[in-house]
Amino acid sequence: MTEPILCTPDETFVLNLGPQHPATHGVLRVKLTMDGEYIVEAEPVLGYIHRMHEKMAENGTFAQFMPNTPRMDYLSALSFNQGYCMAVERAAGIEVPERAEYIRTITVELNRISSHLLWWGAFILDLGGFTPLLYAFDDREKILDLLEHVTGSRLTYCYYRFGGVYNDIDDEFITGTREFIKRLRSRMPTLYHDLVTGNIILIKRLKDIGHISPEVCRKYGATGPVLRGSGIEYDVRKNEPYSIYPELDFDIPHYPEGDCMARYMVRMDEIEQSLRIIEQSLDKLPGGPVQAKVPKTLKPPAGDCYAAVEAAKGTFGCRLICDGDKGPYRLKLRSPCFSNLSLFGEIAEGMLLADALAVMGSLDLVIPEIDR
Amino acid sequence: MSIIRETKWALLELFPEQKATEAEAEVAAWNKIIADARAKAEAEEAAKAKAAAKAAEKAGEKTEAAEKAPEEAPPPEAAPAEETAPAEEEPVPEMDPEGDPPVSIEPESPRPLGVLVRDYKARGVHLDVLCSPDQVVEAAKLLTGAGYFLESVTGVDWIKEEQMEVDYDFNRTDGPLCRVVVRTRLPRSAPEVPTVSDICPGAGWHERETHDFFGIKFIGHPYLVPILLPEDADYHPLLKDFTP
Amino acid sequence: MNEYWRDILYGTKSLLIGLKVTGPEFFKPVITEQYPHFVPVMKERFRGHIELTRNEETGGSNCVVCGMCQRACPSSCITVEGEKPEGSKKKVLTRYILDFTKCSLCGSCVESCNFNAIQFSREYNLASTNKSDYIFDLVKRLEEQR
Repeated sequence: MTEPILCTPDETFVLNLGPQHPATHGVLRVKLTMDGEYIVEAEPVLGYIHRMHEKMAENGTFAQFMPNTPRMDYLSALSFNQGYCMAVERAAGIEVPERAEYIRTITVELNRISSHLLWWGAFILDLGGFTPLLYAFDDREKILDLLEHVTGSRLTYCYYRFGGVYNDIDDEFITGTREFIKRLRSRMPTLYHDLVTGNIILIKRLKDIGHISPEVCRKYGATGPVLRGSGIEYDVRKNEPYSIYPELDFDIPHYPEGDCMARYMVRMDEIEQSLRIIEQSLDKLPGGPVQAKVPKTLKPPAGDCYAAVEAAKGTFGCRLICDGDKGPYRLKLRSPCFSNLSLFGEIAEGMLLADALAVMGSLDLVIPEIDR
Repeated sequence: MSIIRETKWALLELFPEQKATEAEAEVAAWNKIIADARAKAEAEEAAKAKAAAKAAEKAGEKTEAAEKAPEEAPPPEAAPAEETAPAEEEPVPEMDPEGDPPVSIEPESPRPLGVLVRDYKARGVHLDVLCSPDQVVEAAKLLTGAGYFLESVTGVDWIKEEQMEVDYDFNRTDGPLCRVVVRTRLPRSAPEVPTVSDICPGAGWHERETHDFFGIKFIGHPYLVPILLPEDADYHPLLKDFTP
Repeated sequence: MNEYWRDILYGTKSLLIGLKVTGPEFFKPVITEQYPHFVPVMKERFRGHIELTRNEETGGSNCVVCGMCQRACPSSCITVEGEKPEGSKKKVLTRYILDFTKCSLCGSCVESCNFNAIQFSREYNLASTNKSDYIFDLVKRLEEQR
């Protein structure tokens, strides 16, 4: 159904951005009320790929929901694996062996880098640069190969299990990861920063565009690079340490400007921090089992618990309510982009349409995760 | 003071009865700590006096040591009256030890309204608040005022108890970690709760989503139309008696 | 006006740096896989659709028709049928249907199997326009592979 274009006396009209638009990275429709080139009102319309994951969770067992988690955020699937695993482990009181925690950290950080690389390529593509996308995909391909080697799949990994991981990593993966770290480090300054970050077009498109104040972030519950780009040093890995993060030395990049450039820089710096985390975890990698003894059918006691992880886009939270049965009684999935996008309506007011696309790109939206 | 304790006492404003009993318990606990400390001090004092006496005995100066002991005895006697009196007058959390409050004992069901301190390792939250639907706005105001932000809103359908639950997860971005969950129970036949979207605008979308899935009405919500479901959806898929 | 010239100067510098970075890439070997001419070999742990494991001794399947995989599957795409031949204690597999249209390659079935009866195949060229091509009869497949 197409909306009629209304030309009211004050000369505003409605413009539909999406649901099929390259800049929305999926099927997201934004209903824009425009005054010429300026946005008067923006209203994101969601739900085009809503699949009701939460109902699916209620219908199966705990383990049967596992393959659903990577289908939400397919770009950082392992973070969602981990969030759900942590919630169930917390409810059932399962301890994860140390080696498994290290493997989880290494793989999840690799996944975070691949997510940021894809975002980088696609974001520059939104802004009109095609070449960087190919460089980013070249590096991302290496990560996909590494992860395929351990997990068996390339995109929708279903690798973690309650109390551990599916199978152990081997020397080939470890040497491959070390090589990749070296390779990305050598490519970052030239291919990424010289070519794009210092480019005048990028700076003109991003600097002082799309200011998000820390207050707005708090009001809307935005997390992840959006929040850190507004100068708030908040990262679940540091503020609510889980897994082995307290033992590792890494920084939380944050920029106080709050514009698109700040969010861009946060993600670029996060790639380097993730490399540091992987390097340290590889050095410290202990031996031992990768899977705790867990009964085949889990029956956690009645009660509810909450677990949060830092996914590539922000805080992924799982509220799990059990009633002593084989499956969740209720599972709430708090996805980061849902909250991150909800502030778009407020900041888009009075913005140029071209800038709004840059802002939307800088929020790093993954639509299946918003719609769930 | 620990942030968990501070938030707990702020939230207890909503529950005067629990606040009174908790305050009493705190006073008692504090008094016990004082008494214990005093007893310990006295015991130490006595031991010291004894040792001094012994040393004096050894030195052969019995008389001086005997005089010294009674001199040191009076102060502990005077102290209790001084310290307990103001504590009873104003049972405020400031009188507390610095640490986090102890984990509450699991209440028998149905759980009374009030604040519970949860074991973070097992539950993932520090404070668990159950309030009546009309207290939700007040709780949200208290928490946002204390620097919290709303992370998510969700519903639960307790079909056996003919009730619906709405959970609000609060978290903070600065300082030490403290997660708070505010819950409220609504009758299943007419689930209605005031909106918090005017206090935390981020709740707007979450409440629309909860309305989609459970049919819970958020009174005063400016735009309560389906967000994830189709715009003409008149069903609520997360209800336990929903059949597609 | 001053800013205008500065922008032009900086723009030219950006352009030159960009060319310096992208130029050498032009002479580097092609990194994309030339797919139809070059067929990649799947990794050892690659998760294709499932297939029955061949028992080296009998040449048949290890399956004892316990139904664990069927129950473990989140999208119920496995149908296992078996029968008890006269005088035999064990059930024998007669039909193993995998509805690949619903399968999400999660591997829950492989994990749930206690008898090492199913494994992931290495197949990935599975494009088809016909839906019935994705209803796999794994017993037949095992016989054909022999």
